[in-house]
Amino acid sequence: MQMMSVVLPDLGAGFVLSLEIFVVTLLGALPLGIVIALARMSKFKPLSLVARVYISFMRGTPLMLQLMALMFGPYYLLGVNMGSGWKFGACAIGFILNYAAYFAEIYRSGIQSIPVGHYEAAEVLGYSRAQTFFYIVLPQVIKRILPAMGNEVITLVKDTSLAFVLGIAEMFTEAKALAASFVSMIPYVIAAAIYWIFTLVVEFILNKTEKKLDYYHD
Amino acid sequence: MAKEILSLRNVEKSFGDTMVLKDISLEVTQGEVVSIIGSSGGGKSTLLRCATLLETFERGYLAYEDIVVAQPGPDGRAVYADKATLKKARSKFGLVFQNFNLFPHRTVLQNVMDAPVRVQKIDKEEARAMALELLAKFGLAGKEDMVPNELSGGQLQRVAIARALCTKPDILFFDEPTSALDPELTQDVLRIIRDLAEEHMTMVIVTHEMTFARDVSDRVIFMDKGVIVEEGTPEQVIDHPRHERTRAFLRKIYD
Repeated sequence: MQMMSVVLPDLGAGFVLSLEIFVVTLLGALPLGIVIALARMSKFKPLSLVARVYISFMRGTPLMLQLMALMFGPYYLLGVNMGSGWKFGACAIGFILNYAAYFAEIYRSGIQSIPVGHYEAAEVLGYSRAQTFFYIVLPQVIKRILPAMGNEVITLVKDTSLAFVLGIAEMFTEAKALAASFVSMIPYVIAAAIYWIFTLVVEFILNKTEKKLDYYHD
Repeated sequence: MAKEILSLRNVEKSFGDTMVLKDISLEVTQGEVVSIIGSSGGGKSTLLRCATLLETFERGYLAYEDIVVAQPGPDGRAVYADKATLKKARSKFGLVFQNFNLFPHRTVLQNVMDAPVRVQKIDKEEARAMALELLAKFGLAGKEDMVPNELSGGQLQRVAIARALCTKPDILFFDEPTSALDPELTQDVLRIIRDLAEEHMTMVIVTHEMTFARDVSDRVIFMDKGVIVEEGTPEQVIDHPRHERTRAFLRKIYD
């Protein structure tokens, strides 16, 4: 019992940090992904190429390595000491840049699945390109990509544990420390349960959203 | 003399090495109904797409009344007007597609009233009243809040016509408006176009429905291999074609 009175508050504090990483990543990567997807589909070849290379690199190297590079890059490359708070900045930037690459490809698949006739109808009706994208294309894209997005978002729940390598006291970091000090599996078990409940909540929200968008079919 | 709504002169258009429109000229005056007939690949749809700015042509002249969309430059190639002019030209015409192209995520009413509100900045209530009136006129009262996938093909095309009309175009183009419909639904749509013709809506209709074209048109154009082979009243072109290509085409249709 005495163990629980330490484990639960510590894991709780860790969970709050995990949740923060999760929310910040989504807030940054969901819009950034659209920008990258549009760049990737641009008719301006150099821009498209840059986006292609970016996506390839972000998906082709470990997120853990990217986090370390952001954490220590400023010092190793430029000799700049970013201070102790930098790990949170490195963590947020690393997650956002990495997830935006995955999101971009999901957006692209959705955008390219919209029939060209919708663009033509919008053009003839006089919609500007921005109006066409935001009022005609994007709402349809969201419905189409929701299942694929759901996969990524659930992966993100668990990927937040990678912040461990930056010494951020998120839930996994806490669980490891607690397991070591109590010589017990219990902190891991509880942490696993909390991750699972977290993903169940995410699944629930995704299902609700999917139902809400079920009012029409193509 | 009636006002000239659409002027297309000496238009040439190629896809790669294939010339699909060869020196095409088409003038449509106010209140006129023009049908374009001909076999697939003859350039009918491309002509419509050029007129509605979905495609650009290499040579020729295009204007909606006094709005010049494209004209020959010094080297003879067509030069298109600036964005603002093109936008102004777009407000002059509407286009009804073969496969409707309604926006599936928006209700029938939103599909019809959105462009007037968002593009033309018409007052929302006014646009709604206009949309409801059009929908009622086309036998779609009570369907306003449905989404496209709840409607039949014939109803979808009627919504699409209402959407095109709600922007108050001076001329309406139809690209094979009944080709994607079951035969029993075709008549609903044709009846509406007939009604519009009686109201003297200016229309250009690409169609395979010969009986309909004969009844509704002031003028029929037969296109083949990128040229206008024959053009005249329905009696001249459909009933008494002078050219062998027209005759061959009509024989094929009626067999």
